[in-house]
Amino acid sequence: MSLFGTSSGFGTGGTGVFGSTTTDSHNPMKDVEVTSPPDDSISCLAFSPPTMPGNFLIGGSWANDVRCWEVQDNGQTVPKAQQMHTGPVLDACWSDDGSKVFTASCDKTAKMWDLNSNQAIQIAQHDGPIKAIHWIKAPNYSCIMTGSWDKTLKFWDTRSPNPMMSLQMPERCYCADVVYPMAVVATAERGLIVYQLENQPSEFRRIDSPLKHQHRCVAIFKDKQNKPTGFALGSIEGRVAIHYINPPNPAKDNFTFKCHRSNGTNTTTPQDIYAVNAIAFHPVHGTLATVGSDGRFSFWDKDARTKLKTSEQLDQPITACCFNQNGNIFAYASSYDWSKGHEYYNPQKKNYIFLRNAAEELKPRNKK
Amino acid sequence: MGRKKKKQMKPWCWYCNRDFDDEKILIQHQKAKHFKCHICHKKLYTGPGLAIHCMQVHKETIDSVPNAIPGRTDIELEIYGMEGIPDKDMQERRRTLEQKSQESQKKKSNNQDDSDESDDDEAGPSAQQVAVVQAQAGYAGPMAQPGIPPVAGGPVIPPAGYQGMPPMMPGVPPMMHGMPPAMPGMPPGMMPMGGMMPPMMPGIPPVPPHIPPRPGIPHMAPAPAVTRPAAPAAQPAVTKPLFPSAAQAQQTVPGVAGASSSLSTAASTDPPKATFPAYTQPSVSSSSTSSNPSSSTVAKPPATVTSKPATLTTTSATSKLIHPDEDISLEEMKAQLPRYQRLAPRPGQAHVAAPPVAAVGGIMPPQQGLPPQQPGMRHPIHGQYGAPPQGMPGYMPGGMPPYGQGPPMVPPYQGGPPMGMRPPVMSPAGRY
Repeated sequence: MSLFGTSSGFGTGGTGVFGSTTTDSHNPMKDVEVTSPPDDSISCLAFSPPTMPGNFLIGGSWANDVRCWEVQDNGQTVPKAQQMHTGPVLDACWSDDGSKVFTASCDKTAKMWDLNSNQAIQIAQHDGPIKAIHWIKAPNYSCIMTGSWDKTLKFWDTRSPNPMMSLQMPERCYCADVVYPMAVVATAERGLIVYQLENQPSEFRRIDSPLKHQHRCVAIFKDKQNKPTGFALGSIEGRVAIHYINPPNPAKDNFTFKCHRSNGTNTTTPQDIYAVNAIAFHPVHGTLATVGSDGRFSFWDKDARTKLKTSEQLDQPITACCFNQNGNIFAYASSYDWSKGHEYYNPQKKNYIFLRNAAEELKPRNKK
Repeated sequence: MGRKKKKQMKPWCWYCNRDFDDEKILIQHQKAKHFKCHICHKKLYTGPGLAIHCMQVHKETIDSVPNAIPGRTDIELEIYGMEGIPDKDMQERRRTLEQKSQESQKKKSNNQDDSDESDDDEAGPSAQQVAVVQAQAGYAGPMAQPGIPPVAGGPVIPPAGYQGMPPMMPGVPPMMHGMPPAMPGMPPGMMPMGGMMPPMMPGIPPVPPHIPPRPGIPHMAPAPAVTRPAAPAAQPAVTKPLFPSAAQAQQTVPGVAGASSSLSTAASTDPPKATFPAYTQPSVSSSSTSSNPSSSTVAKPPATVTSKPATLTTTSATSKLIHPDEDISLEEMKAQLPRYQRLAPRPGQAHVAAPPVAAVGGIMPPQQGLPPQQPGMRHPIHGQYGAPPQGMPGYMPGGMPPYGQGPPMVPPYQGGPPMGMRPPVMSPAGRY
């Protein structure tokens, strides 16, 4: 039932992993494998919003495509549709009503994909690859935010070819996250800017990076009242910083923790430090998941400041992850992220997306 | 060390006020003396870390940092090396240091040879130059830190002090008159030092010409004002090598970082800022894990992204960063690969409205090899997606309504020849 043009080695069943006879470490966690995964590295994953019934997963890849699967309650994944860009897709997001998917690509454009009609039209244009795309739903406006390597952050009404607003950034956008009314963008050269989105987007504060290495991923978290209150920032140096925007006691409340490193206690061999490729917060528990170049994912409780779980090591880096709208499914993608350079790139190596039941493992630890 | 902005003094332990040569040693000391668990001897990284460890592992509470002097025992303060030290205590420390060095300076000058004393009288014309020199020497002071205490002896200073000069000395013609305004505080303070000048600066007269780099001066001004008391002894000795070699000055950041060569032949005119963060030196790859990231976080000079990207710090004895050396993102590296640059149809994959739309945005050049029409025509026919894309809507100036809304809003878009091609092509393709 594969709708995608390329053949998938694992057939069309949802639980393809059980059909595998090899004992290689591509899926040591024995999680559900998504059928018809993309043919090149997966750059982003996103689940449909709560406004839509069911769970639909979209994944963008370096094969210039963005694919959509339906994830059924029994774990079966059904490929539904795909769209193409003329360059690798770097990011994708859903509109708040779940009817549109927005995709951003190295071809310097962003597209709006109407799932009902399966049409995609270009809605944004930059001078460089667009690295981050997010949908903003404000009481008085709605728009798309695109962050690009051309050092600009642009906001688009999807009906107009010109941006509603264009903000200059100090450096190339490396990652961003939006939880209304807050947006955070992390740029090259460890730049970190927070924007406030009320009335219209404007720069709120430039923050001195809590991390000492290149920024790689960022995710906003909310407080008990469901308001965005801070963000988690990951770098290439196996470290995540938890940073609150207006904490009562910054020195105490903000902290960093190390993750995605090898040789925890073994001091005889040098420790390998891997990049944190993505961070996602559980929509219900507020706990977070990080995935890294080491091919592992970890779950953390930032309030108790403890680690909840670390997975076994996959044979490839994990490049993207996301939770579904109710937090029951954790999706993560296994593909090469270039962390070891060109030499380790094997175009023949299969890329995977796995789904894991996240209801139990991400429950917060009880504070002592 | 050697980074002026960072602390302007040797690393010292907040908990017990001891001085250290290097931040690494300071951290080792803290871990061993202040952050060591008394029960299991595990070394933690911070006070709060120790507290949490004792609580979680041994179920014991501790309320003060071990081996700390009274008043500095707060277990809740997150101090790591020199980071986290409250400003108040920093100022206090700085003041104490200045006082100390001033005292020892006075003592030193008192003990100086008679010749120095008598040379005070000649300070007149050279006073200004002295001021300049001092300013620069003062700037060099913190720069000279590696292994050189603020009140170090003369012989040690010159090479180190020299390193501080480069930003000041592009070898530009004299503008001595510009100096005094920049060094208001210098002359009075320098007087005692003035005596030092003549013996130190046989080359002074020819030197002043090199002072002028006005852009550099502002950087110097604050430095000398602050460090002057701290490094008065250093200055006289420093000045000598500074000026004569100023002509060939221009040592780049690596020199600042501790190279001992006193005469640099690299005559690059680095902007003053270049001395601070290591990012501006694309050809420099820092070798220690802390030097690169520890550079200023706020005032980052424009990175030379367009040229060769700065290199990362990747390896130390105990850890290795699994990341390619260049300091650009992994996606940027991967995107440089030719196979992703083509913006062309991938083998075996069809397109959806991409090429013509992309072309609108001005990506025409890469599109040359890909006639916009073809994919457009092929596309709808394949119907792989269950619904043939109809009419490739997009920003088609040819009159195709973007997103199905009314009039084309494309006037701002290019209305060039490529656009003209489109309508005739798209219509047949789009309409079934």
